[in-house]
Amino acid sequence: MAKQVVATRATVSTWPRLGRQEGLLFVLPALLLFAVFVAYPIVYILRASLLDWSGLGAGTFVGIDNYIQLFREDPIFRKTLRNSLYWTFLTIFPQMFLGFLLAVLLNSKIIGRTIYRAIFYLPAIISPVVIGIVWQRIYDPFGGLLADIAQRWDLDWLSRPYLADPKIAIFSCIAVNVWQWTGFSMLLYLAGLQTLPSEVLEAAEVDGASVIQRLVQVVWPMLRPIHLTLILLGVIGALQTFALIFILTKGGPNNATQMMPTYIFLQAFQLQNMGYGAAISVVLLMIALMSSLFQMRFLGARFVVSE
Amino acid sequence: MVATSLAQTPHRRRWRWRRIAGRVAAQVVVTLLALVWLVPVAMMLTVALMPSSSRDAILGGLIVKQPTLDNFGKVWSENPLPRYFLNSLIITVPSVLLVLVVASLAAFAFARLKFWGSGVWYALLMLTLMVPIPTLIIPLFQIAKRLNLLNNYLGLILPYAALGTPFAIIILTSYFSRLPREIEDAARLDGCSSFKIYWQILLPLSWPALAVVFIWQFMVSWNEFILALIMMQDDARKPLILVPLIYSGVYLTNPGAMFAVLTIITIPVVIVFVLLQRYFVSGLTAGSLKG
Repeated sequence: MAKQVVATRATVSTWPRLGRQEGLLFVLPALLLFAVFVAYPIVYILRASLLDWSGLGAGTFVGIDNYIQLFREDPIFRKTLRNSLYWTFLTIFPQMFLGFLLAVLLNSKIIGRTIYRAIFYLPAIISPVVIGIVWQRIYDPFGGLLADIAQRWDLDWLSRPYLADPKIAIFSCIAVNVWQWTGFSMLLYLAGLQTLPSEVLEAAEVDGASVIQRLVQVVWPMLRPIHLTLILLGVIGALQTFALIFILTKGGPNNATQMMPTYIFLQAFQLQNMGYGAAISVVLLMIALMSSLFQMRFLGARFVVSE
Repeated sequence: MVATSLAQTPHRRRWRWRRIAGRVAAQVVVTLLALVWLVPVAMMLTVALMPSSSRDAILGGLIVKQPTLDNFGKVWSENPLPRYFLNSLIITVPSVLLVLVVASLAAFAFARLKFWGSGVWYALLMLTLMVPIPTLIIPLFQIAKRLNLLNNYLGLILPYAALGTPFAIIILTSYFSRLPREIEDAARLDGCSSFKIYWQILLPLSWPALAVVFIWQFMVSWNEFILALIMMQDDARKPLILVPLIYSGVYLTNPGAMFAVLTIITIPVVIVFVLLQRYFVSGLTAGSLKG
């Protein structure tokens, strides 16, 4: 009896000390993957951004020349910055608004809710390559969907070179992105609505508050964590937009739809300016890290909506 | 008494009518929006059904006069589509399994074990989620070139696993943390090792969270584009997602064939989505997963 007690105590007191380092073994594989495929590449672009380098051979050290050229003499880079701003604001907010509206509608007793939810989410699971090619046809001024509608019903304003006019091309691309990702916002808001205590809604109903007032003053503020998650994911999503632009316009016409990722690809893999491409990568990385950390630290944004 | 109830009735009736009208309006709005939302998807299908001889596409091909399945037969016989499909599977499945193993091991440690620097390691891993993938294409391409991993499936499998692991860790850590600890504590007292607790107690209890990670990562790996584009230059090794690029020149004058390719690419994803819809939703909201 006494022996058994002693034995139990021994195991209890030794395992926490052992366990302290044991945890490291469990996280080691994840850390290794991180070190090789995330941390090392970041060090790599920091170094490469200081080189004049075609990708072959060693490259020449040029200090911060790439950055000077980027900020002083590169109008295309300025376009990518402007487009990133457009992309960020014009996808995130319309998407939040539409997603919220759909979530509210589909949270009520509408017939066929599950089917509607699936329909709105469907674009988010389709490859951006497929989506890009289909939308090219919708936008096509020669026999495309919009051009054909314009012709049949004499709607001149609808007939435009959506992807060929440098003034509107970026907005045409953004519209496709909104279409693709609104369902995602809708799902997050639906989940959020389901976590709201039902008394909140009922109390407002008894007060005689109108539906819209109730939504704006009670429901919307209570979904703050969801808004923050959507903005956090939206900013990073905007900053890494590549496939859709690559398929729709390849950054054209005349670089009007160039985004930082497509510009990195152009410089590094098509013009063989790996050093310059690395400098753009560093700037993009810094923007992404700073904006995300700011949102998480000061606004309390999180990647996953929980509880 | 009588007076008040009389006064209330018309008001109540009006209120009820307004409710019904509101519901009808909501139904109409949702239906219209859904129809608009479906147009591009519908167009993918209808253009694929367009005979190659037809020159007058109505509404850009949204309406087809003599629908035919010829395009599907044509692209299927002319191209090794099953090969590309297989390539996608060879890349996707191992990357998903790797994420499941690596992330669940780490999540177990973060949720249950105390160890040196756990907070720092967690924060570092989460940094991955803030890194835009395009910033990594130059180094990942150069590393792959040096290690002879260009045109090699591993050149995609390993980066996909590395990039997918952090999100999986979030989901699994939050799930593990909410599981009751009693069984584990008892097992500890019986001298059970941590690995045994992870493998025999925690994992079997966590299949809903593991399913979420599986499906989520499957979609991410299957649809990843930029790394696939730079790593796979040999047509024989390309995953399905790059196929439209191979054919964009060939089928320039035959949109029906091109859209048949798009449809064939999309169908498997849609089937998976329809079958497992429930997990998509809960995957986005890790907290709502019930233990």
